[in-house]
Amino acid sequence: MGGQICTSRLTHWVTAVLAVAILVPSMVGFANKFLEFAVLVQQDNAGAFAIAPVLNYLLASAGFLLLLGWATRNGMFRDVEQPKWKMLEQERLLDSQQSAAGWSVDAKQTSRTERVE
Amino acid sequence: MVADESQTAVPSIDTRRLVDRPLVLCYYFAALAYLVISMLGGILMALQLVRWNVLEGIEWLSPGRWRMVHTNAVAYGFLANAFLGTLHWAIPRLSLRPVLSRSLSWFIFWAWQFIVVATAAGLVLGPSLQAEPWVVKLASRWHIPLSVGAQALEWGETPFWIDPLALLGLALVAVNFMAPIVRTPGPMYVSLWYFMAAFVWTFLTYAMGNFLPEYVVPGTSAGAIAGLFIHDLVGLFVTPLGWGLMYYFVPIMLKKPIWSHGLSLVGFWGLAFFYPLQGIHHFLYTPIPMFLQYGAVISTIAVELVVTTVIINFAGTLWGRGRDFWDNLPIRWFYTGMVFYFLTCLQCALQVTLTFQKLIHFSDWVVGHAHLVMFGVFSMWLFGVMTYLFPRLLDRQWASRALCEWHYWLSAGGILVMSSDLILAGIFQGYWWAALLPWDVSVMGSRPFWIIRLVAGLCMAAGVVCFLINIAWTARAGSRAADR
Repeated sequence: MGGQICTSRLTHWVTAVLAVAILVPSMVGFANKFLEFAVLVQQDNAGAFAIAPVLNYLLASAGFLLLLGWATRNGMFRDVEQPKWKMLEQERLLDSQQSAAGWSVDAKQTSRTERVE
Repeated sequence: MVADESQTAVPSIDTRRLVDRPLVLCYYFAALAYLVISMLGGILMALQLVRWNVLEGIEWLSPGRWRMVHTNAVAYGFLANAFLGTLHWAIPRLSLRPVLSRSLSWFIFWAWQFIVVATAAGLVLGPSLQAEPWVVKLASRWHIPLSVGAQALEWGETPFWIDPLALLGLALVAVNFMAPIVRTPGPMYVSLWYFMAAFVWTFLTYAMGNFLPEYVVPGTSAGAIAGLFIHDLVGLFVTPLGWGLMYYFVPIMLKKPIWSHGLSLVGFWGLAFFYPLQGIHHFLYTPIPMFLQYGAVISTIAVELVVTTVIINFAGTLWGRGRDFWDNLPIRWFYTGMVFYFLTCLQCALQVTLTFQKLIHFSDWVVGHAHLVMFGVFSMWLFGVMTYLFPRLLDRQWASRALCEWHYWLSAGGILVMSSDLILAGIFQGYWWAALLPWDVSVMGSRPFWIIRLVAGLCMAAGVVCFLINIAWTARAGSRAADR
């Protein structure tokens, strides 16, 4: 039990540290690129030249920024570890339902077929 | 920590109707048929490099055309079909809802096969038809690009008239799979995030790569977009689908949850923000503005950090269950693919630097890298998924464990030797060219490497033959699971 709490704490710390290390630079990078692009377009022809590829990037990234906002607002990150348990339980129950329906290969054979014996 | 009962309650659903098993099987058979064609193309190319062109004199089977069949068959024939088949298994089980329409699913299956076969026919026969009077007349009447054959776009050689059909097909795929996903109550599992993003990204990437350079954006700017297309096809089509499937299959096989769901979301959002700009690294030292080239280099190196989070997460999941790596064959396929994935990304972070690029550009290093990604990572993951699913789809156990093992070892050994060999050849070639030695020196020096590449390729092909024999034996002679 104590070990589980320790592992859980470690998981949270590693996740938090890596989240800051990955997502903050990516957001800063996104903002920098956008500013750089805005300045360049105003300066010379090189800006116009770069419009097509950069617009592709901005469109994709802006779409995902909006999605991130939507997901946060709709509670997608409220209990961030819950979906992994739900998925596993769901799969177990699906297998048992199929087994009860006489469709045995999923539930009964799982261990054997996974090991390809 | 476990989810409470109310959160995990599975409504009583008709599990037989949830997954269309015959459709998944059809996708897998189609995928494997294209894999055989692709590998045949690869072997023919490898033979040609050791000066044995077995199809010499046959114009429509010349090496240049076979090469395109080789790459397109693996990307759109094998990977796309295998992914689509697996998604028909995974998405309904993750969302507890069937796809939007079974009829639409079957329509998409046949439409996709038409697109792949038409692409192959266009690549093989197109250049020969190019000068036919009716083609010239048609092109001039409708002011369309004169290309019944390959479009001049790496990985996007699909003849131009197929592009709108393929795009329509991708839109239908998105609609069919998104319907159950958007009705799933949140918070969503990470696999569904990856799948959802892949459907949008693939559609946009295909449209960007196949229409903008062809009709809208000219010159070097079109080259920059082509670079984005090549890489986004790997990073925004196969990568999210591949990782989404790994996040689904690894936990259910190990019967333990992913180490950190939060970390998996960090990986997902990192990919979303870092990946889209990096494709321009394919065109370093070109007239593309340097700020775009530097942006691509930085974002490519940054993706390596994102990849590290994913690797940490899967290593954490396997922690304490190392024995499963040896005992559980699908798990072995998956984790071997992950090791190769980490290596390819590390390689990528190095090779996109301007210093490194100067040495390896145009060399066999790139070919080794491409094979490591396509075969060593994504094909291996899909082999693992198929190894897990075929017994369930056929309702029989594998006929031969030995053949399963042979498939794994021949594939893993073959790709390891082939990629190492080509990567080493690339370094040699780069130094020969940098030393301004005659071209012949690099060709003669490369021959031993090309012979090893041929042998490695034959091993990989032999592995696939073992797999096919095993499937045939299992389908025909395997005893029914229920009887055991």
